[in-house]
Formats: sequence, structure tokens, C-alpha cells
Amino acid sequence: MDVQATTPLDPRVLDAMLPYLVNYYGNPHSRTHAYGWESEAAMERARQQVASLIGADPREIVFTSGATESNNIAIKGVARFYRSRKKHLITTQTEHKCVLDSCRSLEAEGFQVTYLPVQKSGIIDLKELEAAIQPDTSLVSVMTVNNEIGVKQPIAEIGRICSSRKVYFHTDAAQAVGKIPLDVNDMKIDLMSISGHKIYGPKGVGAVYIRRRPRVRVEALQSGGGQERGMRSGTVPTPLVVGLGAACEVAQQEMEYDHKRISKLAERLIQNIMKSLPDVVMNGDPEHHYPGCINLSFAYVEGESLLMALKDVALSSGSACTSASLEPSYVLRAIGTDEDLAHSSIRFGIGRFTTEEEVDYTVEKCIQHVKRLREMSPLWEMVQDGIDLKSIKWTQH
Amino acid sequence: MVLIDMSVELSTQVVDHYENPRNVGSLDKTSKNVGTGLVGAPACGDVMKLQIQVDEKGKIVDARFKTFGCGSAIASSSLATEWVKGKTVEEALTIKNTDIAKELCLPPVKLHCSMLAEDAIKAALADYKLKQEPKKGEAEKK
Repeated sequence: MDVQATTPLDPRVLDAMLPYLVNYYGNPHSRTHAYGWESEAAMERARQQVASLIGADPREIVFTSGATESNNIAIKGVARFYRSRKKHLITTQTEHKCVLDSCRSLEAEGFQVTYLPVQKSGIIDLKELEAAIQPDTSLVSVMTVNNEIGVKQPIAEIGRICSSRKVYFHTDAAQAVGKIPLDVNDMKIDLMSISGHKIYGPKGVGAVYIRRRPRVRVEALQSGGGQERGMRSGTVPTPLVVGLGAACEVAQQEMEYDHKRISKLAERLIQNIMKSLPDVVMNGDPEHHYPGCINLSFAYVEGESLLMALKDVALSSGSACTSASLEPSYVLRAIGTDEDLAHSSIRFGIGRFTTEEEVDYTVEKCIQHVKRLREMSPLWEMVQDGIDLKSIKWTQH
Repeated sequence: MVLIDMSVELSTQVVDHYENPRNVGSLDKTSKNVGTGLVGAPACGDVMKLQIQVDEKGKIVDARFKTFGCGSAIASSSLATEWVKGKTVEEALTIKNTDIAKELCLPPVKLHCSMLAEDAIKAALADYKLKQEPKKGEAEKK
């Protein structure tokens, strides 16, 4: 139940890919023989499938190795191209590490970046965004659905604001594409990052959408033979992009049904946990929220110990113990979660193939082990004795 | 997203202490023979409460713990209660975090759990000693 980390291949995607792994192994850039032509045809079909999912023109889709590369291309590519006149970018504090790190590396190149805070709901304040836009802002980058807490940002409103202020709008839509309806024109999106392995496609492939009208210019990151209109050199991996294309087409067909089913399972999980356990907090706005990503904090129980207890369920936690540093999740910190609750958080991911039995099993084990761990917790004991934990002077280590 | 560092596989000892915990619980903290140590902070994700019961001869006859923390923290404090039992108050002071870490095969990133367990032992012993002091005069009269 860790679908935000990755998803299994949809069998239909595997079916689409196999011929290109076995027989049709030509390089799609080979112009002189049938191996190349058939490979190129498959690549272009895939391009159309990706474009169709987001309302774009196929010429606006550039294949990459994944959303990390797409984010790098979008952010660094736009910033660097316009650097002579525009030196400022805006993003949020809850973005994925690759976005934050790309911005940080641009700061080292002399760019200025504003990292917008988020409200307790996890959503940015649109007025703050408007106030942050400067005459020399080239790009605003805000992710569509957050990978830790599932919160949905008001993408259409952000697009409108950016369009009216003539600033390019990029969105990391890795967790949103194929799961919620997206249209780059309705939402006035100029650049978008897409990840294959988050939508039941293969790992190692993604795409970046780059608007043609009005044209967004991007400085290429990778030098080479000029593939993908010069924006991403390198042989396009036909089997992988065929997989990405198929995943997008399947997602378009399944989107509504998946969303309904996942919403029901999510509600089942949340209701059943909350009615059996007190002191459970859901992190992030419950309304502007993608149902398949549920982040809960179980007060007085530490995240990693709970994960250890739920050993036959694949989950992840915002606890510091699960990171190499001792810092808990920066996303939870950004939404103002108390540090002890940040250490107590677990992320449950529900996807296309998650079954009701799996949800029920997870809920049952979760309830059982939270109760057990609370019995072992000095904090729970103190709270039961009526002690206000905030009044204690803890020792620092 | 912060994911579990899978190279940090939990040792069988750590898992064992979680699944079969020894000495979870509480002793009467108001009793003069009980020393209570409470160390760590919820904001750090690690809080250990370790209690010892000491007889008249200064020997630790019982110990209990409760921990808010990861598997390694639970195991470290559980092991600490196992080790202090049967030792005198002076002997218990010699328990080192490095011994705990070695016994549980703790990886470098988890060493702070064993350090906190050592702190918990020392805090419990200090609390016990403190409780004995004002009564020293009375004991000598006896």
C-alpha cells in the first residue's frame, strides 16, 4: 500500500511493451530501414497517447527518463533560457526534492527563488503567490498532487494568475496524471512533469509537456544528437515510451472508475481506523485531496515502530527514524504539524489494484498494533493520567 | 517522501524485543525504592521511561520500561531493563551504550537509541539516589 512510491505494471501496459522488447527493437531515429520506421511509429503513437491524456498536442510532449528529469528540464531549462532578463522563480515548500534541489542549484547560479509557505491545509495562499510575483519572475512551479499528504493545489487558479502576469507555470503532476482530469489549456499550464511508474507504467520513463502556443523556450539539459526537437538528446527508449503511452491510454479509460473505487476504499480505511482509535489525525486538507494518498498521525506512537509492527504491509512514514537524518518530513513540518505528530505519521497508498481485503487487513493490523504500542508508550500513559505533555520540560539529547 | 533506509535492516534481536517485549509496564513511582528516569523528547521522536526497584541492599530487583520511539529504541530500552535486573546500583552505572548497540547489532544511524537507553538507566539511578538522600538521616537513626 505504497503506491505513491511506485505502482505495478498494468498487464495491458506489459502487453503493449513486449513486442518492442523482443521483436521490434529498432532505434526510432534510424531513418533508413523498417526497423527504425516501425519503432518511430510506435514512439509517435505513444506520444499521441500521452498528449491526449492531458489535452496537449503531441508535438508538445518530450520523453524523458522520469519526472525527476522532467522537473530538472522544466525548471532549469526555463530559468536558464530567460536568464538575461528574468532572474526570479517561485515554488512551494512542499515540492518534491528534485524540484527543491533544482531551485537550490539555480540559486547557486545566481537566481533568486521564493519558496512559498503553505497553510495548515497544505494548500498555498493564492494572495501570497500573487504578491510574490515580480517583474523578473520567469517561472512558478507548484505540484498538482502532493506525494506525501495527497493535497491538491488549486492548479486552474494558479494557471490563471500566472497567465495574467505573463509568468510561465510549471506543475509536477507525477502523482496526478491519469488519476484526476487535467487539461493544459483549461488550466493554463505551460509545463508539466509526468512519471511512468506512478501510473502503472514502466520505471525509467517519463515526459515533460512544453507548451507551443505561446511558445515556451527551454535550454536543453542534455547535449547530444538533438532528439526530441533538441530538448532532450538521446535515443528514445521505444519499449519504455510505448509502456508510458499505453499507461496513459489505460488511465484515461479507467480514471473515473478508479477514482470512485479508490475513494470508497479510502473512506473505508479512514472511517474504520478513526472509529476504533482515538487521537488519530489526518494530515492535509480532507476536501482538496486525492483519495488514494492518506497520511495519518497516530498520537503517542512512533511511525517506524508501527511500520515494523505492520511488517506484512508495504507502507511508509514521515518519521525521522526512517530517514538518514533525524529530521521528520519537511512536508509535515511545512503544514505546521507538531513535531511529535510528524514522528507518528504513516502514509497509506491506495491504487488501481488495491483490494478491499487488503484495506481491511491493514486496518485491522493497524488498530491492533497502535493499541499495543500505546500500551508501551510513556506518552500515552502520561496522557491517560491527565498530564499535559506540552507542560513537561523534556531532556534534550 | 522519507522512506525507510532499507539498508538498515532490523536485526532479529530488535524484532524479537518488539514482538516479545520484556518488562513493559510501570512501577509505583511514588515508592521510595523506585527510581524513575524519563529521557528524550517527543519532538525528537524518542522518549524512554525506565524504572528500577531497589531492595535494602542496593540491588535492583525489578525494572520496567515504556518507550515512544522506533524499533531500535524499544529494543534498547527493553534490553536495558533486562541488564539492570540483578545488578547493584553501582554495577548498573557501568552499563555502556556501546554494549547495548553491540548486543542489538545497531547500525550507525541507530546508535543514538542506545545512548538514550544509557541515559535512561542513569536517570533512573539518579532519581533513586535522590530519593534516598533526605531519608539518610532517618536510616542511620535506625
